Amino acid sequence: MTSRIPAGMRYYIGAEARLRRTVEDVAMSVFQAWDYEEVITPSVDYYDLFEQGMGQREAQRGFRFTDNDGRLLALRPDVTSSVARMAATLLSERSRPLRFCYAAPVFRQQTQSHAEWRRENTQLGCELIGTGGKPADLEVLRLAAEILSRLNLQSRYRITINNVEVFNGVAAHLNLEERAREQLRRLIDTRETAELQRFLQSYDNPEARAFSQPTQLTGKRNVIQAARDTITNARSLAALDSLEELWTDIESLGLKNSFEIDLGDVSSLDYYTGLSLKIFVHGAGSSVGRGGRYDGLTGSFGRAEPAVGFVLNLDALTEVLGRNIAQEK
Amino acid sequence: MQESALAMLARAGICLTDGVNSRRLALMDETGQYRFIFVKPADVPVYVEHGIADCGIVGRDVLLESEADLLLPLDLGISRCRIVVAAANADAMTNVQGMIRVATKYAQIARAHFGARGIPVEIIQLSGSVELAPVLGLADMIVDLVETGVTLSENGLTVVEEIAESTGRLVVNRASYQLKSDEVARFVSVLEAVVKLDRIT
Repeated sequence: MTSRIPAGMRYYIGAEARLRRTVEDVAMSVFQAWDYEEVITPSVDYYDLFEQGMGQREAQRGFRFTDNDGRLLALRPDVTSSVARMAATLLSERSRPLRFCYAAPVFRQQTQSHAEWRRENTQLGCELIGTGGKPADLEVLRLAAEILSRLNLQSRYRITINNVEVFNGVAAHLNLEERAREQLRRLIDTRETAELQRFLQSYDNPEARAFSQPTQLTGKRNVIQAARDTITNARSLAALDSLEELWTDIESLGLKNSFEIDLGDVSSLDYYTGLSLKIFVHGAGSSVGRGGRYDGLTGSFGRAEPAVGFVLNLDALTEVLGRNIAQEK
Repeated sequence: MQESALAMLARAGICLTDGVNSRRLALMDETGQYRFIFVKPADVPVYVEHGIADCGIVGRDVLLESEADLLLPLDLGISRCRIVVAAANADAMTNVQGMIRVATKYAQIARAHFGARGIPVEIIQLSGSVELAPVLGLADMIVDLVETGVTLSENGLTVVEEIAESTGRLVVNRASYQLKSDEVARFVSVLEAVVKLDRIT
């Protein structure tokens, strides 16, 4: 037998395993204090479920194999798809809202960046289903902030928020066909200023200027005001309004320094329908969590209703906290 | 690249204390605001993607090859060159016989370029003196970086296709961009001012 271990897999032993357990316990205790019920979903499911839930591009990064009858199965690459199906089918009669949390490993055969070398990650996540609007968005943001501060990361984390409808409104207003839309999305996502400006020049529309300075899309309340100077379409303006209302609440909760608005976060447009968020922690080279509103998902399982949630990456958090502890010694 | 990048940083007011000639691989600038790390071009995206360095300066050729997940806020316009397909015959591309052997240091770029057009290729990965490969019959064509074209013509090769232009780029780690947003924004804007000045003059 081989002594090798597949790429992206690892052991946790002793102190590190204990630290990882503690991080998981902290997150689950915060979820439970907010009335989130733990759910354990199947580790193996039909590949179709994940394609429907995550979009093809993300789902195909999963590990796939076939069932006895030839149907394609996958080792779950996310948990949200399965929770959404459960809410729409098994629990369709239960009174709303539904609050669920989980700590579960997910598996991805191909990682997105070279820095994310792990192919097995444990997600600490929650889903709030059956209620929409600002109160629900704010609830999950507060949950994320509370977990991070309970992990003693108060001044060391930042959560960026965006509303994907800002981009969608501009893309629709510019009448972009699928390929041009994807190109615009990619240029904004990587903040390629020069190429972006060349691309936008061909659109004789003042709204094309909304994204022409991609390094100035990140900040506090001021970025919303700046966006209103160029954006005129109703869809984007409504999204900016709801983002600003959310920001006002973040300010009054005293969380302003831990949050930032990033209108340039357009990395997962296929998935989210409103709020999108990313979580960063000092010491980790890529984001340690993400989430957002996905009002379109449960409808594809037969019961359309608003839903919002986020996940934290337990393995990335453990690594950062472990390094912090080692440095303090 | 290193020389023109340092010259550009100096014009932006960011100077290194004791010259780059020293053999130390990590140096502070005069104000103590920035720490510089000197690594091989192909390692720049690696350091930045892992967040060990917040920012990096590297050629677009290296970025295309590495497919690193980074932010690219600024085209510095330095070390301008082209990534090309070159062969002994100028009509090589119009005369493809089923399959091409391509020698290159840029396996990813070559595979993507020919793959997008449905041309089957055998990629022969080399680490230097790529121009030699068609001369000695190892390959039919090469994909390489060309600045003046002198080396190509000295080996009897001509450019048959241009794949992309390459210039020095400022790259930024995704997490640093959010966590150190003020510092990164300041660094980008001082460099941007120099780039704009260069474009005018």
